[in-house]
Amino acid sequence: MIGYLLLAPLLVGLLVFRAYGFGYNIWLSFMNAGAFGAPKFAGLANYQDLLGDNQLRVAILNTFKFAIIAVPGVIVVSLALATLMQYRFRGQSVFRAIVFLPAVCLPTAAILVFGWMFQTQYGLVNSALQVMGASPVSWFGSASGVTVVVSLLVVYLSFSVPTIILYAGMQDISPDLYEAATLDGAGPVRQFFSITLPLLTPSLFFVIITTTISALKLFDVVYVLLPPVDHSVSLNYGFTLVYYYFYLAFLETGQRGYAAAVSLVLLLIILAVSIVLMRLQRRFVHYGENG
Amino acid sequence: MHAQNQAGWRIYAITTIVGLLILAPFAWMVATGLMTTGQTLMVPPRLIPSPPTLDGVIEVFNRIPFATLLFNTIVVSAGRAIGTLIVCATAAYALAIIKVPGTSAILVGILALIMVPGDIFIVPNFAIIASFRMTDTLVALFLPSVFDVFGVFLLYQFFRGVPRELIEAARLDGASHLRILATIVVPVARSGIVSLAILSVLSEWKDLLWPLVVNRSIDKLTLGPGLALLRGVYTTDWNVVMAAGAMAALPMVVIFLVLQKQFITSFARSGLK
Repeated sequence: MIGYLLLAPLLVGLLVFRAYGFGYNIWLSFMNAGAFGAPKFAGLANYQDLLGDNQLRVAILNTFKFAIIAVPGVIVVSLALATLMQYRFRGQSVFRAIVFLPAVCLPTAAILVFGWMFQTQYGLVNSALQVMGASPVSWFGSASGVTVVVSLLVVYLSFSVPTIILYAGMQDISPDLYEAATLDGAGPVRQFFSITLPLLTPSLFFVIITTTISALKLFDVVYVLLPPVDHSVSLNYGFTLVYYYFYLAFLETGQRGYAAAVSLVLLLIILAVSIVLMRLQRRFVHYGENG
Repeated sequence: MHAQNQAGWRIYAITTIVGLLILAPFAWMVATGLMTTGQTLMVPPRLIPSPPTLDGVIEVFNRIPFATLLFNTIVVSAGRAIGTLIVCATAAYALAIIKVPGTSAILVGILALIMVPGDIFIVPNFAIIASFRMTDTLVALFLPSVFDVFGVFLLYQFFRGVPRELIEAARLDGASHLRILATIVVPVARSGIVSLAILSVLSEWKDLLWPLVVNRSIDKLTLGPGLALLRGVYTTDWNVVMAAGAMAALPMVVIFLVLQKQFITSFARSGLK
């Protein structure tokens, strides 16, 4: 009895903010709910609108584009950093602290610095390009420019935690294997691909899944990086699904019913991607055990 | 032996370059924060503020209520951590120590909920908070997130490791469950509690979307969204923005440097499964 009493705060909270919230979202997705007045039943209208919504298409494409570029980036960077951290060298603890700085830095601050570094006229990056003889780039004036800056930022802000998880995974691999490989004449590169990488697959897949899911939920980077004044830039180059959902519900005309439908699209996409990745993981790990 | 030395030298060079690359945005933030607006508008850019000035720092306080934002951030992070710890520790105790009937079904539900992205609850949660008449309050910022299913699962794993004999001995002595939770389970599972506290504080610290939605007045915002408002409509005084960024990032960086070990263990545990 006391047990259920102890569970009560959690269960009540989940009932209100998750179960009711989820039901409300589904209900809302069938409503025409604006900023003012009571919601009116709209049937499947919101879902029909989804199909013909060009802005939604842009948002989905952007979300996938950023994820497809940034996730491999995060994985490669964190694999490299975790490998570096396996070595013993002076200043190791300082290096480890530096690797974690992006994870504890206020994201808004980091995003603003990147915005400043990539500023067209006075930014560091363009000056560096000019010194090297290249012409300056209008980073926020084109889809490809925005993609580069957003992807770099996502990588910068997200590599720290994967690094520690992969580092821990590497620590679990028996040193005997490396010794045997050295005796057999395998160099460090060969050892990395034949021992480290295959034995790291469980941590690697975990990191891939969590990084992908958080990339699909991308909001803060584009929101802070692309100022609201330049609506055209945000709308065309930077809109992600979460940003679009937020924009619909709270910024533009307050189309909350439609926003709810968009949020369900986001949920479906994240679930679908998670299931695909988990399937892949099962196959991959299984293959490893047999091979 | 010679080959090994060479490898060491190379590793040293690589880590130095990588470390500097990671630090570069921070350094540039601080350097710009110490410039005048005029110095930020030079082509090619000055790397070092000469002479350094606190103009930007002072201007931050004119443009945004920085002290209020910092205070709010501390209150909200503490509220989030305390709320999360109470909700998760009591629930994890019921599941791991008492093992209430239905524990396995509840655990399955919890694991399934971990998969559902919280961002889809922004609109309904806003409606719920609004119906509680709690918009534009500090509590609204952390209330929905204290019911943290990942936190329950994390503590559940730790609580299961608490030796049964300790709990049974306390039961025989007539100690209540709350007492056992506070005096035996929490101290034994201390490192799990610390990890959950750190992860909760960090996640509150970094949150941007929910504060922007639920609180409209700047006096009730945290540093992240408050800072986002500094971006000018037509021009941006980058020295002011960078000074604010550096000042806002500083507290957590300092806490991290002090509690480095605990932070890194907590990060590793966020990948627990």
